[in-house]
Amino acid sequence: MLRFFRDGLYRDYLILILVTIIAGAAVSSGIAWAVDSYFGDTIQDMIGDNGEYDLILHIRETSEEATLRELERIAQQQYPGAAVAKTISLAGQANYLFGFPQEAKTAATFSRLPSIFNAVPGLSSYTVIVEPSVLIRGVHPSVSDTLQQRFNQIDGVKFAFKDGKNMLIVLESADHSKTVMNEARQILKEYQVLEVRFPMGIDVDVQATGDTVMQLLKQEYPKTELVNVSSAEYGEELDALMKTLVEMRHFLLSYASKVKIQLRAGSNLVVGEQILVQGSSSQALVPGEAAAPDHVVIEILEVTGDQAQGMIVSGSVAAQGGAVTQPGYKYASDNKVGQPVGQVQIENERYRLNYAIEESLRLLTELDELSVEAAVAVERADQVLTTFQEALMQLEVLQVQMQQLNKGLVENGVQSTGEQLIVSLFLNGLLKNIAKGGTETPGEFDLDQLENLDIASMRSSLSNIAEQIGSIQGIDVQAIIDQITDIRDSLPELDDEEIGKSVHLVDNYIAGQVIPGERIQILVEHGPIDEEAVEPLIRSRLKNQYLNLYSIAAGTVNPDTRTEVFRILKEVRATIAGIVSIAVVGIFLMLDHATVFSTLKWFRANQKQRRRGFARLLNPVVLFSAVVGMVILAATYVLSNAAIPYISAMTVAAIGLGLGIVIGTFSEKFSPVRADEIMAGLALGLSNTQIMHEIVIPDSRPGLLNLLNRTKQKF
Amino acid sequence: MRQLLQIRGLRKQYGKHMAVDGVDLNVNRGEIVVIMGPSGCGKSTMIRCINRLTEPDAGEILLDGKSILNLDDQALREFRRTVGFVFQQFNLIARLSVLDNVMFHLVMAGIPRVQAEARARNALARVGLAGSEHKNPGSLSGGEQQRVGIARALASNPQLMLWDEPTASLDPILIGEVLDVMEELVQTTNTTSIIVTHEVGFALKVADRIILMDKGKIVEEGSPKAIFADPKSEVGRKYRRLIAS
Ligand SMILES: Nc1ncnc2c1ncn2[C@@H]1O[C@H](COP(=O)(O)OP(=O)(O)OP(=O)(O)O)[C@@H](O)[C@H]1O
Ligand SMILES: [Mg+2]
Repeated sequence: MLRFFRDGLYRDYLILILVTIIAGAAVSSGIAWAVDSYFGDTIQDMIGDNGEYDLILHIRETSEEATLRELERIAQQQYPGAAVAKTISLAGQANYLFGFPQEAKTAATFSRLPSIFNAVPGLSSYTVIVEPSVLIRGVHPSVSDTLQQRFNQIDGVKFAFKDGKNMLIVLESADHSKTVMNEARQILKEYQVLEVRFPMGIDVDVQATGDTVMQLLKQEYPKTELVNVSSAEYGEELDALMKTLVEMRHFLLSYASKVKIQLRAGSNLVVGEQILVQGSSSQALVPGEAAAPDHVVIEILEVTGDQAQGMIVSGSVAAQGGAVTQPGYKYASDNKVGQPVGQVQIENERYRLNYAIEESLRLLTELDELSVEAAVAVERADQVLTTFQEALMQLEVLQVQMQQLNKGLVENGVQSTGEQLIVSLFLNGLLKNIAKGGTETPGEFDLDQLENLDIASMRSSLSNIAEQIGSIQGIDVQAIIDQITDIRDSLPELDDEEIGKSVHLVDNYIAGQVIPGERIQILVEHGPIDEEAVEPLIRSRLKNQYLNLYSIAAGTVNPDTRTEVFRILKEVRATIAGIVSIAVVGIFLMLDHATVFSTLKWFRANQKQRRRGFARLLNPVVLFSAVVGMVILAATYVLSNAAIPYISAMTVAAIGLGLGIVIGTFSEKFSPVRADEIMAGLALGLSNTQIMHEIVIPDSRPGLLNLLNRTKQKF
Repeated sequence: MRQLLQIRGLRKQYGKHMAVDGVDLNVNRGEIVVIMGPSGCGKSTMIRCINRLTEPDAGEILLDGKSILNLDDQALREFRRTVGFVFQQFNLIARLSVLDNVMFHLVMAGIPRVQAEARARNALARVGLAGSEHKNPGSLSGGEQQRVGIARALASNPQLMLWDEPTASLDPILIGEVLDVMEELVQTTNTTSIIVTHEVGFALKVADRIILMDKGKIVEEGSPKAIFADPKSEVGRKYRRLIAS
């Protein structure tokens, strides 16, 4: 077959192939370039120059005018120097561009975007296009704060901020883009979120099962740090509410009466069950009888061994001062008192606190009064001492006189008068009384004892006491009393029954919120954990063969929107180039090469050689056309910088091969051979080249072949 | 050497069908050989083998004692230029004018245009088409087209003319003008000719020898008189009945 080309035709055909490739590449890259530059300009129009705008605000078209007014107001009043522009409308949405002034491009500004623009009428959403930046997509909420901090510390980063599920790292300049992307990738690698996904319809206790899974993971990977972040996904606000509710429940329970039940052997209580105690009711509890409305109802919260804990859901022990120990009974469903369950001890810190406050208030009031009284007493004591001192001095005088009198009596002779004796006795008695009466022996009178009293030290002690009492009086006891009274008054007036109801309410709410128990997410640090290796272990531990374990990145690094858009555009360009080159090569094969293939086939049919083996199954011309198609398409594809996603070089070659086979097989349909004219040419002694130039090509469709032939054709 | 063409044991097979099944034929210089036979007996195949428009499977073809079956491409082309071939379907180049049709192969062969044109005009004049040089073949009648085909063959001054049923695809009224031209040419130029035709009258008039073929084989040959006076073959008898009627 190749003999056909021998007389110089191969050169012509090689040129045709080359020209086909060049023309094909030119056409396809030209079309692709045109599309590219059209869209490039459109996008440029759409999102402005690099760094000019920070946001695209998507606005419902109906409210356009008001929107523009509000945006301009924000630009003038809040951010002077901000840029506002309207850009193209798409699908019933107008799009506005907003660029903050340079000094306002801060983390603070970007983290409160929703509040800045919340008054913009018709705003449906916005896209952040701040540049230069690196976009981290799908940041797991459990690590977003940590990541934000760490990203902020990367060199060349101005700041990072959260934008919904994404995080944007704003750069100092576009030059840092590569290094920051790399570092961010590095940081993200340190975190891993493992997700245990359960089959549809299975509800799992996220907390308890999560703990089990974490235990297992910790066993397998002791170095990792694990946190159950299953609920983090539901958003931080909901999370905060949940936390508050949990705190509130905790507070309420601590405020309620503590109920401890020492269980009787054989009485089994379950969590949620209710029991009865008498409380302050006048009616005793008798098994089998109906319960009274003022009996105290306790719900069991926890059972451990022979101990149980509960809370009062109805009734009160306030009357007993918040501390009661009474026998408890089961509370049957028909409002009957059931079997005894054990001794129930109810203590209420709140009532105790109340009692303590009341007591201290009383004490303080008394103390105040006491200090006044004490001051008076000290003053009196002082006066007593002075009087006493004076009295003592007079006593001394008296004593001297009496001693002289006694002496005189004795010295004036044995025969003393009766008058003198009576006076002496009287004096002795008087002295005795004065010197702290009760001296053992009447008649014995010891005035020295009185003299020995240390009046001075007594006085100094007294003044000390007076001083201390004075300092007590200096304290503003009344203020303290007022304070404590305030505290007492501000203590919630909740009784146990109300607390019980509130706890129930909180429990119901929390239970309602933690619904999607089909999956558990665990944040892994210092991993990574090989999820494929661990999956079977978790399956067997949780006894569920259908659960799956996935490893989710804590976020993925993407270039900023513009870079992304232009990258996509480049991809589109390459795809268009690819599709166009396939089409163009197909057309060229049909218009030009089919003529060659048809002629080759005709010549081959006219040869004398018998077709042997392989050639009998496949016409070598078709094989040839397949190779030609492959070579031309591959070269065109490469030259036009084409790249169709998911289509490999091998596939492109195969497409070329396919095109060649189809066009080779049906070449006569595209370019019929004028056999009689070729036959005439042969009979007239023309060469193959001459036949091609003068007979075959001029008759074929206009195309590259015809064009190239112009110079060769003589007639 | 008297013999211009020698054919020995020529065979051509299409699939299982033997189109030409061992033909031996010698043609003398200047001789007019007419080949006749029923449709499909292999006449065209045989005559095409002579200038290798059809490649024979076996046998030998000698021209001036030299084999033409092992010529290289170049020699083959040169050989073909010395052999004129007239097709049943004329096989003109539709794109070219009458004049170009007649002269273009001369130019291709390297003859200067002026000379080629002169020879072409001359050839056209000989077939009675002077003045139609610039017409388009499509605008001509079948007879005129075939005369262009004859002029084209003549223009290269061939030493051998091969005619493959030149009148078979013409209207009966047009056959006469072509046969007249042929008769005139054959008798005046003295060119060795092998003519395949069903025109018995023409054959009787111009043939030096008539060859009858059937089923790929030559079944009878001889002078026109001898062949139709006492045909020995089945085909010969059929032709005699044709003449008698
Ligand atoms: N290219 C071909 N391929 C297959 N068979 C062919 C081919 N050319 C001719 N034949 C067959 O070979 C046989 C001889 O054909 P050929 O054309 O030589 O006959 P012919 O005597 O010229 O007939 P006609 O008078 O009809 O022209 C016929 O049966 C024909 O069908
Ligand atoms: Mg025939």
